[in-house]
Amino acid sequence: MLQPIWGDLVIPFTLLLGWLLGELGQRWLSIPRISSYGIVGIAIAVIMNISKTLFQVEDLWSLTLLAQIAFGLLLFELGYRVNLAWLRHNPWLTLNALVESAATFVAIFCVAQFFDLAPVPALLLASLATATSPLTILPVINEMKSGGQVTERSLHLSAISCVFAIVAFNTVVGYWVLANAGDTFHAIWNSLIVLFVSAGLGVLFGVILPRLLDLADTNERQSTVAFALAVAGLILVTHSLHFSPVLATLVFGLMARHHRNVRHQTQPNFGMLGDVLIIVLFAHIGSRLQLGSLLDGALLAGAVILVRYLVKSAAILGFAHLSGLSLKKGLLTGLALMPTASFGILLLELAAQRGLTFNETMSALCGLLLLVDLVSPIVLRRILVLAGEAPKVN
Amino acid sequence: MPLQPFSSSQSLSMGVELELQLVDPTSLDLTGAASDLLHLLERKPFPGDVKPEMTESMIEISTDVKTDYDSLLAQLREMRDALVAAGDKLNVRLAGGGTHAFQHWSEQAIVKKQRYQQLSDLYGYLAKQFTVFGQHVHIGCESANSALFLLHSLNRYLPHFIALSASSPYFQGEDTLFDSARLNSVFAFPLSGRAPFVLDWEMFESGYFRKMEATGVVSSMKDFYWDIRPKPEFGTIELRVCDTPLTVERAAALACYLQALCSYLLTCSEPAPSEDDYLVYNFNRFQACRFGLDGIIVDPRNNKNIPLREDILQTLDKVQLHAGRLGCRAALDEVRRILVEGNHATYLRHQFAECRNVKGVVDAAVDAFRGQP
Repeated sequence: MLQPIWGDLVIPFTLLLGWLLGELGQRWLSIPRISSYGIVGIAIAVIMNISKTLFQVEDLWSLTLLAQIAFGLLLFELGYRVNLAWLRHNPWLTLNALVESAATFVAIFCVAQFFDLAPVPALLLASLATATSPLTILPVINEMKSGGQVTERSLHLSAISCVFAIVAFNTVVGYWVLANAGDTFHAIWNSLIVLFVSAGLGVLFGVILPRLLDLADTNERQSTVAFALAVAGLILVTHSLHFSPVLATLVFGLMARHHRNVRHQTQPNFGMLGDVLIIVLFAHIGSRLQLGSLLDGALLAGAVILVRYLVKSAAILGFAHLSGLSLKKGLLTGLALMPTASFGILLLELAAQRGLTFNETMSALCGLLLLVDLVSPIVLRRILVLAGEAPKVN
Repeated sequence: MPLQPFSSSQSLSMGVELELQLVDPTSLDLTGAASDLLHLLERKPFPGDVKPEMTESMIEISTDVKTDYDSLLAQLREMRDALVAAGDKLNVRLAGGGTHAFQHWSEQAIVKKQRYQQLSDLYGYLAKQFTVFGQHVHIGCESANSALFLLHSLNRYLPHFIALSASSPYFQGEDTLFDSARLNSVFAFPLSGRAPFVLDWEMFESGYFRKMEATGVVSSMKDFYWDIRPKPEFGTIELRVCDTPLTVERAAALACYLQALCSYLLTCSEPAPSEDDYLVYNFNRFQACRFGLDGIIVDPRNNKNIPLREDILQTLDKVQLHAGRLGCRAALDEVRRILVEGNHATYLRHQFAECRNVKGVVDAAVDAFRGQP
């Protein structure tokens, strides 16, 4: 009889424990809160691994839904912080972003091939590893209230790499469907149509909502609620229609920024709502860790981390002078772009909900790379302090 | 360190310094981008001088020595364009204005320079609250005594410059009801306010500066935050009460109005300055800060009240000839326009009325600086 009770209690206790550890870790050990939230999530994964009866993955379904909304809010905020005018004024930065993403994709594909991965999993891994996870970068930047070139470039490069990753991922999925089922319609649907309709929905929301807020004459607080509800709505719509909530929310943020009225800006991090949902998000990501197969791809994961870092850093340093960045900040920006897996895990999960399941190796790899994502916030804090873009952490 | 001898400079030559805001284009809050911007600007010759200021979210630019309005305005525009281009390359916006409308002083980072770190240690939160932005105008003087004469003769006209330049009605997110809230931050410093009434440089040096130096309170003229102070190494007096206007055009006009006024004062057409002039100094200063051009000041010579706007109009008539001779008549036209249209504090309040959000005020300041009001 205990099982249902545990099942009901696991989410509230996880969130409370996550919050408590986040605060204590922050105060005593200067550990960014999201790392602690992720550790709580890993604890859930460990418990589920030890005891199959205490509670099951199904008990966490509402955590999954909330995590996806939190994911959407973060992507919206990332899109909102992207200034397209900057990319126009500084074409070297735009070129830097494109070269960095393309080179990472090619390099990781080569690494995967070297480790004898089949072409499709290798392409999928290359797509996922191209993205720099905004899930790790944005909360730390918000928490530190940092500002400067490392901060701005990390966010912009992350956004562009995410778009690149989503496009590449969907194209590979289309190819995979074609190769497996030989179904051209489903192949095109899973790649081009999904991308265009998702981006279109984002544009629609991004154009209409600011207009509605103008009509309703809302203040910043009310606008935050409206944007949060719109993001949740967009996620549910794209989710139920099997489109890409990731691309839709990112484009929504981008469009909302460029049609904004300063009166209707959202509060940074979506105010307290963001503070709560970020616990959900990282606890959820941590709980996705597959302990059983963790060491299976250790060598490949190590190679991916190293090659990814080298390629991204080389691209940034190569364009540093031309795009107006000092070498020191170029090096620090390269390091700041390390996190990748938290984005990849959620992308895979969303793909699975569209009925697309992949090789177990992918999940194992992402699990391993996730450990890097949980350490990254600690490193990112130091980077921002070293760059002189955030106050020293006491 | 003894006071430097007063270098002679060309009478009525001028130079302008502007402290500018660095703004994040997304949040419109101040952003600590000074080091990044200066690093980029170092790469090619800058049409003037640019350096860091107290906090990472400010920079200061200064012109070369100029004698007329056209060349001053041309250089200010060149500097503005170079800064805007560099800012665009780094995703940073620049803005004038005496205060940022909603920044929080506690979030500002002191620049890593020994002098600023020392000031931060000494003044505590006052140093961060000093994230305010002023225009300083230097006027060249042939001798130290003529500098002191001008410095004290200008005391009666100080409210003109406060009211005309006022562009800091908002502070920490609120309308302060002052046109220039910036000067309240400056006034908190113990060595701010007016200079001691001494008209002889030797007396100033031996009778005042050395005594102050002996107390250990000051070591150079930089330690005085007076409204007008002599700058012996440049051979100038430096007017420090102006808020940074929203546009470089207004900054040039204010500098040239001061130049023409100094030219007029040097003709000794007015009674010599006296200590009693300062009886109403703080009151007049307050009127200009609080009410801007609608303030009412007291003339220390006859104790009569006079609306500030009217006093400026009368003064413009008096200095008109001098402006013509100095090649800055267009500057006086701009000053007359301010009297009709209102100062930049009024402009910012209009912006707030339109969008009902302090972020809109910063947005308008950014556009105005780029020359897109």
